[in-house]
Amino acid sequence: MVTHAPVLAIVIPLLGAFALPLWGKLRRELRDLWAIVVGVFTLVVALVVAVKVLGGGEVWVYTLGAASPAAAVVQGGFPIRIVLEVDALSAFMGVIALLAGIVGLVYTLQFLREEEGKTLAMSLYLLLWAGILGLVYTGDLFNFFVFFEITSIAACGLIGYRTWESRPPEAAFKTMVMYTLGGLLVLLAVGILYGEYDALNIAYISSKVTGGLLDRIALGLLLGGLLMKAGAVPAHMWAPDAYGEAPPSATILLVVNTQAAIYGLSRVVFTLFGGVLATPGVGWLIAAFGVLTIVVAALMALVQKDLGRLIAFGAVSQLGYMLLGLGVGAASLMTGAGFGQVALRGGIFHMINDAATVGLLFLLVGVVQRAAGTKELSRLGGLGHVLKAEGGLFLLGSLALAGIPPLNGFASKILIYESSFHLSPILAVLAILSSILLLAVVLRAFHSVFLGPKPSVLHVERTQWGTILAMGTLALVIVVFGLFPGFFVKHLVDPAVQALWAGRADYLAAVLGG
Amino acid sequence: MSGIGSGEGFWNPIVWTLLALGVLGLAYALWLQGRRTYKRGTEQEEPFLSGERLPEEGSHIRGEHLYWGFVAGLRPLIETLRAFHTGFIGDYIGWLVVVLGVAILVVML
Amino acid sequence: MPFVVCMLLIAIGLFTLLVRRNLIKLVIGITIIENGVNLFLVSLGYVRNAVAPIYTYAPPGASRMVFPTPQALTLTAIVIGLATTALMLAFVVVIYRHQGTLDGGKIRELKG
Repeated sequence: MVTHAPVLAIVIPLLGAFALPLWGKLRRELRDLWAIVVGVFTLVVALVVAVKVLGGGEVWVYTLGAASPAAAVVQGGFPIRIVLEVDALSAFMGVIALLAGIVGLVYTLQFLREEEGKTLAMSLYLLLWAGILGLVYTGDLFNFFVFFEITSIAACGLIGYRTWESRPPEAAFKTMVMYTLGGLLVLLAVGILYGEYDALNIAYISSKVTGGLLDRIALGLLLGGLLMKAGAVPAHMWAPDAYGEAPPSATILLVVNTQAAIYGLSRVVFTLFGGVLATPGVGWLIAAFGVLTIVVAALMALVQKDLGRLIAFGAVSQLGYMLLGLGVGAASLMTGAGFGQVALRGGIFHMINDAATVGLLFLLVGVVQRAAGTKELSRLGGLGHVLKAEGGLFLLGSLALAGIPPLNGFASKILIYESSFHLSPILAVLAILSSILLLAVVLRAFHSVFLGPKPSVLHVERTQWGTILAMGTLALVIVVFGLFPGFFVKHLVDPAVQALWAGRADYLAAVLGG
Repeated sequence: MSGIGSGEGFWNPIVWTLLALGVLGLAYALWLQGRRTYKRGTEQEEPFLSGERLPEEGSHIRGEHLYWGFVAGLRPLIETLRAFHTGFIGDYIGWLVVVLGVAILVVML
Repeated sequence: MPFVVCMLLIAIGLFTLLVRRNLIKLVIGITIIENGVNLFLVSLGYVRNAVAPIYTYAPPGASRMVFPTPQALTLTAIVIGLATTALMLAFVVVIYRHQGTLDGGKIRELKG
């Protein structure tokens, strides 16, 4: 089983998602048990992949359908068959998807009620999980597009499956249109690259790409499609609708879905076109979009009236930090300056911090909505009298979102500030000011929801152990990653940064045979 | 655990937490120096609102009015941004075309 | 030459998405863009004076075959397009059931 771990990590949740409704027809307990079994197996297999790649330091190449999985190249130096290539960045994204997936699965099992379509939610959730793991493990461009579309369909299904209300289908329709258009842009770019180089393997195309006119058009199309999926301003407008209307158990995986787009961007910029980027223009483009996202999303979050949309704009703003780190790293790739590596380190570390922080806040929004029956800030208030533990967790998550020391948000943000200052001081200044603005935003949310006089009509059932376990795990991640950042940076993030910064040769050699 | 590796400055969260606890302890020590001779439950404990009477159940400023001054100062910018978020799917596609155009333009140069 | 037609189809589809407000017309616009991209993918494999890439049925004296990989890519893309169009139309039906209208300008509960 260990030799087939990368493909098992994709196949197990995929088959589990399709078998889950069948178990649900028999008995509910069998369906829950099946979900737990699938979750445990995926956890084990993906952990095997992560330990072997992050700890061992080699790129894991797995060929689908070959006589032995490690044989990728046929005579002539031309790789055939679909190749899964897991390097340190893919393994790191797999760890993030694992954390978010397991936490969300536990929350879904305990929190959703039967009449809210629980079978549908769990099945689509497993499908989205399989899609994200496939997106980050693949080494083939067309396979990337296929998993892009799988995640789009599963995500939009999760957003809109509650068809008895009127807002989720509207949000799901708008998100589906945007995702499909982004996917078609990516497919057009894949087609252009195939037409030029007769191959779909990322490593092979990366060794042959020249930087001519058609290559530049393909790069521009890929950037456009992936920036849309990542939610960069001004193509972000689907994100508040989607995150605000999705069921609370699924938003954490939707956030990881968006981070998979950041993974795609880094794969395209650093590995696919890494050899031919002669100017820092692409890096500046991504960094500019990042800063624009940070500022605009923080300003828009200040005047929102719906709690879900407010946290959603906070999530969009956090994504800008990752884009900023990536952009500064790409802009200094040619000169090889040290601060580029630090920026990449900050951006990639921020991915796991953001998944934990925003995930915790979205899970709490679900608890608040169940307790008070509404998500509008003007009608919420005084929940701190009854939901004491949740109030504390919300405060913890809010402080981490705003980047207050010693929590994990600060640890990654200080890396981004100190490095983007070297590229251009304006980037760092705008990022710091928006961080302060985000603190104001989340404190406003906390004040509206938890402080104030005790409301008269309130039905609060005892929060179940699964919900507390899920939220507690994320809070533990926030505190531990904040107090010991050096340990996690050295073991989780640095291999990923090295794989992007200097590891393109290893990536190519693993498939093409040195 | 010796820092986060940013290449400059010093950030060690354990040291920061210990220093923060030290500062909080100092603040507590200063608070203990205060006078403890006041009568509880009398008018000495009530907030003073320029002579007005306090409402019975207390007054609570709701969340959306917390930053009224700041938001009023930035009102033109924020209203322009909110006007962009129209809700039409056609406008969303328009912005995506703008992003695509900018990306292709920058990559071409 | 086929590439010009593909770009034209994509442009028409984008124009439909930008200007029209009826939800069904938006789905049709996405379908037109999909057709343009699929046509582009299929036409990548063209080789002049070549036969269909079926090894056992090749006519005697045929020296060249059309590339088969783009045909596989296009089939996959068509099936993906089917799934996304079905999902979008399902959501349109549900929106119509709730709002009673298909005008995108009136279905704007989520704004701001």
